[in-house]
Amino acid sequence: MLFNLSFKIFQRELRSGYLTSMLVSLVLAITIVSGISLFTDRLEKALSAETEEFLGGNLKFESNQNTAKSKIQRQDFQDIDFMEMVLFASVIFSEEEMQLSSVKAVDNAYPLIGELELKDKSGKFLSKESPELGTVWMDARLQNLLNLSYGDKIFLGDSEFIFAATILYEPDRASGNFAFAPKTIMNFEDVDSTNIIQPGSRVEYNYLFKGPEDEIVNVRNYLETIKENGDDIEVLSEDSSSLGRTIDRSENFFLLGGLIAVLLSACTVGIASQRFTRRHVSYVAMLKTLGMKTTQIRTMYFLLFLFMTFLTLLFGLILGWTLQSQFINLMSSYFPTELPSPGYYPILITCLTVLICQFGFIYPHITKLITISPMRVLKDDVSFDYGFIPVLLMGLAAFFLLLYLYTNQLTLSLIIFFGVIGFSALGIGSIYLLLGKNKTGLGASSPILLALSELRRRKFGNSFQIFAFTIAIGLTLITFSASQNLLGSWQTSIPEDSPNNFAINITPQDKENMQSFLQENDIKSKPFYPVTNAIIFKKDEQNEDDKIDRNFNITWIEELPEQNDILKGEWFDKNLNNGISVSDDISERYKLEIGDEVFIKVGEEVIKSYVQSTRTVNWDNFSPNFFIIGHPSLFKDISSTYITSFYIPSDKQYLAADLMREFRTVSVFSIEELIEQIKEIIEQVTQALNSILLLTSLSALFLAFSALQDGFSVRKHQSAVLRTLGASNSLIKQSTLFEFTLLGLISGTLGALVAYAGIYFIETRVFETTASFYPEISIMGPLLGIIVVSSLCYYLISGITRQSPKKLLMQ
Amino acid sequence: MILEVNKLRKEVSSGESKLVILDDVSFNLLEGQSLAITGPSGSGKSTLLGLLAGLDTATSGEIYLNGEALHELDEEQRALLRKEKVGFVFQSFELLPSLTALENVMLPSELKAEDEPEERAKYFLDRVGLNERKHHYPNQLSGGEQQRVAIARAFACSAKILFADEPTGNLDPKNGEIVSDLLFEVNSETDNALVVVTHDHDLADRCDKKINLKLGKIVE
Repeated sequence: MLFNLSFKIFQRELRSGYLTSMLVSLVLAITIVSGISLFTDRLEKALSAETEEFLGGNLKFESNQNTAKSKIQRQDFQDIDFMEMVLFASVIFSEEEMQLSSVKAVDNAYPLIGELELKDKSGKFLSKESPELGTVWMDARLQNLLNLSYGDKIFLGDSEFIFAATILYEPDRASGNFAFAPKTIMNFEDVDSTNIIQPGSRVEYNYLFKGPEDEIVNVRNYLETIKENGDDIEVLSEDSSSLGRTIDRSENFFLLGGLIAVLLSACTVGIASQRFTRRHVSYVAMLKTLGMKTTQIRTMYFLLFLFMTFLTLLFGLILGWTLQSQFINLMSSYFPTELPSPGYYPILITCLTVLICQFGFIYPHITKLITISPMRVLKDDVSFDYGFIPVLLMGLAAFFLLLYLYTNQLTLSLIIFFGVIGFSALGIGSIYLLLGKNKTGLGASSPILLALSELRRRKFGNSFQIFAFTIAIGLTLITFSASQNLLGSWQTSIPEDSPNNFAINITPQDKENMQSFLQENDIKSKPFYPVTNAIIFKKDEQNEDDKIDRNFNITWIEELPEQNDILKGEWFDKNLNNGISVSDDISERYKLEIGDEVFIKVGEEVIKSYVQSTRTVNWDNFSPNFFIIGHPSLFKDISSTYITSFYIPSDKQYLAADLMREFRTVSVFSIEELIEQIKEIIEQVTQALNSILLLTSLSALFLAFSALQDGFSVRKHQSAVLRTLGASNSLIKQSTLFEFTLLGLISGTLGALVAYAGIYFIETRVFETTASFYPEISIMGPLLGIIVVSSLCYYLISGITRQSPKKLLMQ
Repeated sequence: MILEVNKLRKEVSSGESKLVILDDVSFNLLEGQSLAITGPSGSGKSTLLGLLAGLDTATSGEIYLNGEALHELDEEQRALLRKEKVGFVFQSFELLPSLTALENVMLPSELKAEDEPEERAKYFLDRVGLNERKHHYPNQLSGGEQQRVAIARAFACSAKILFADEPTGNLDPKNGEIVSDLLFEVNSETDNALVVVTHDHDLADRCDKKINLKLGKIVE
């Protein structure tokens, strides 16, 4: 019986349209949450696979010696695939040309992850094998420079090889310090015959591992024990490429958009529930009069909301799935293969969100509703205690739970939570102060007086509306700014003329000629930085324990490079006893503090110095960047080569080859492809960001509309009485418009303040960038408030004034 | 003549068919006269009152209120006419809950932008015996008291004609008597015409004229 009754009420509520705003808000929230979490889940899985491919395995061990292999092989790691490769730079000769190449010799387990895309005379093909003995594969640039056709001979060291295929795509693109030069891949077993690797040769051995996560941890632990100075261990999570950060930040944005949409929808649901409760007061009183028990009524409403949950989940999940499919389609060109299926987590988080919304924003109202006295049937004026405080507390608890669910950070959740409460208190307080005490009369003689009187009279209701509008406007502005921040930082990080080529190994003799070459061809370049390889010792250069376990390419210059900012200490000054400047991450990792004494070992020479400053470095600016920069006076006796970067426009690409021909020892490598890839991703992510922005704005609009609609049910009666007494429609419209324009202005201003505070936290805590100031927000907030609130208000008040006062009074 | 009604007809759509609420209603009323409109529930009494007061529009027919052709006026003009010449008392009082008794009574004067609306409101509240309760809100007053506030408000607007829709319908006999006494007493002090829709025979008998409606037509 209860089930049927409950279902009937549910059907009636659906038909009446009273539940529309609650249902649409919930569906919107579920759509956004499920869409985003399904998308990010699949994206994370795909990115992880992509990063695996970029790395070439789950873990990579880089060493300058080949002693690690035997040690690793003695360990019997379970379920671990393992491969070895050796990387070195060497000059390759064809019949006509010669060119420095970055050579990668791979064993038969290559590639451990992914596959290569190659091209030979029969066309493009995919390969999961290493090159056959006696053959090499080369990238298109090297093929062109050496003027090779398939089947031609090339000479590498003491051996000759057949050029078998062009490399179009290789999975382990992150490999090696020699990746600057055009690439050659050969079989590991052919290396000995070349006689290139001799004692003292600069060679890098890479060992790649693939296997289950826990076993990879064991491998890593073991490698830590055999790791020597200069060796390095890389794992997936340490991907710090521009692309990785781009995706990371956009993922954070998606989650932020999800959280904001949920919070907006939760507020809408809260308002709609309150309206639902008011409408059902007499109904519950009647059911009680007819003898229905409180527990039965509770069950009936519980069932009703269960129907609603199922309905909203059904629609929300279908729409969410569609949304994530759209996102995936947008980014499909980036992921060459189909994305992995999502896990259960997105569905779980969606259901949990709905549950929290139900219990925090709907259940307290229902609990209060069933306490209504049956006397209400006899006397309309039997008061109904809405229990503002418990309802508010439950709502706030749910608000906090949602924050914690989405941020997973207690401190951040507490900051946002108390931030919102603080701003609301500020807003409500300012309304009370601003509007002052009530004056006698309604001021119905003029629209402005009537509006001001209404504002004063409805301080409490207005405060609530202002809270809702502020949340709606503030959160929309936060979403807007966050998307602008992401887009802005990406776009400014890749300006049109950002360098797309790097040149290294520039000898002092070639430096001036090359500068002239670039100048003559109208190519803008970054400065030519001297560079040399050095080892740093903290304190004692004789003590091996003080040696920092890695080599550094250091430079020496007088001017602070662009997009480097001094964090601590001072930059070089001719009046100071100058030392070295260390990047903040190196300073942190190796505990190098300002004033610390250091010894810089370059070849056999040891330079004594100290840490003069630490700096932040923008590693994404496509310019040469350095962990360590010294003052030129320290390095005047040190020989070096030079490094620079420059931009070659697309119509002058031939200059790269000309430059390499003219300066044979200089290695030029292009990053054009990487820049293009990043630009493409940014464009695709931008579209996804805009969809989230649109959906969040829609949620905000619903919240604003619900808050207004709730207030207008009271105004309906007042407007009818005033019109019966002779008030004109224009008086009602003008005063209401004026009143809500003011409310919009106040909410918009407060919303802008909320946005400023929110953006500061998001930029510094979520995106981990430096906070920016967005002057447009201080205009957009109030403007948005006025336009949105007054437009919605005009729509609602027109609906009221269109009806005859008699009809309204009869309602 | 304060009110002249000729061949008034009101139809409403009910699905595909049309429902006739009022048909061929004609009568008139002089200044200072009172008229009772009676009839069973659903006979069209409240609809007629709404049309006479310009709260709604007729399908056809003519209404002249204080010489002005109400049937030719648009909503804004009707509102102006109501403000200047019409007063109301409703069965369900229709006080604004957010205003005190005094503020509710001040409303008509405020709408007319009259001087000293507060003084005028206080006078009429005193006249209905509620001076002591002028700062109370409607939910702090009994039904009878609320209707007395509504009467004070109706007279405070210096109307030419007062429309009362079941003014005693929500009240017990004692309060009903107090309210109808007040209605006629205060009305006699002015030159207002009074139109009352009522089921209450005693109240109807106190009026100068009576019309009885049945199925939308005047039957006596």
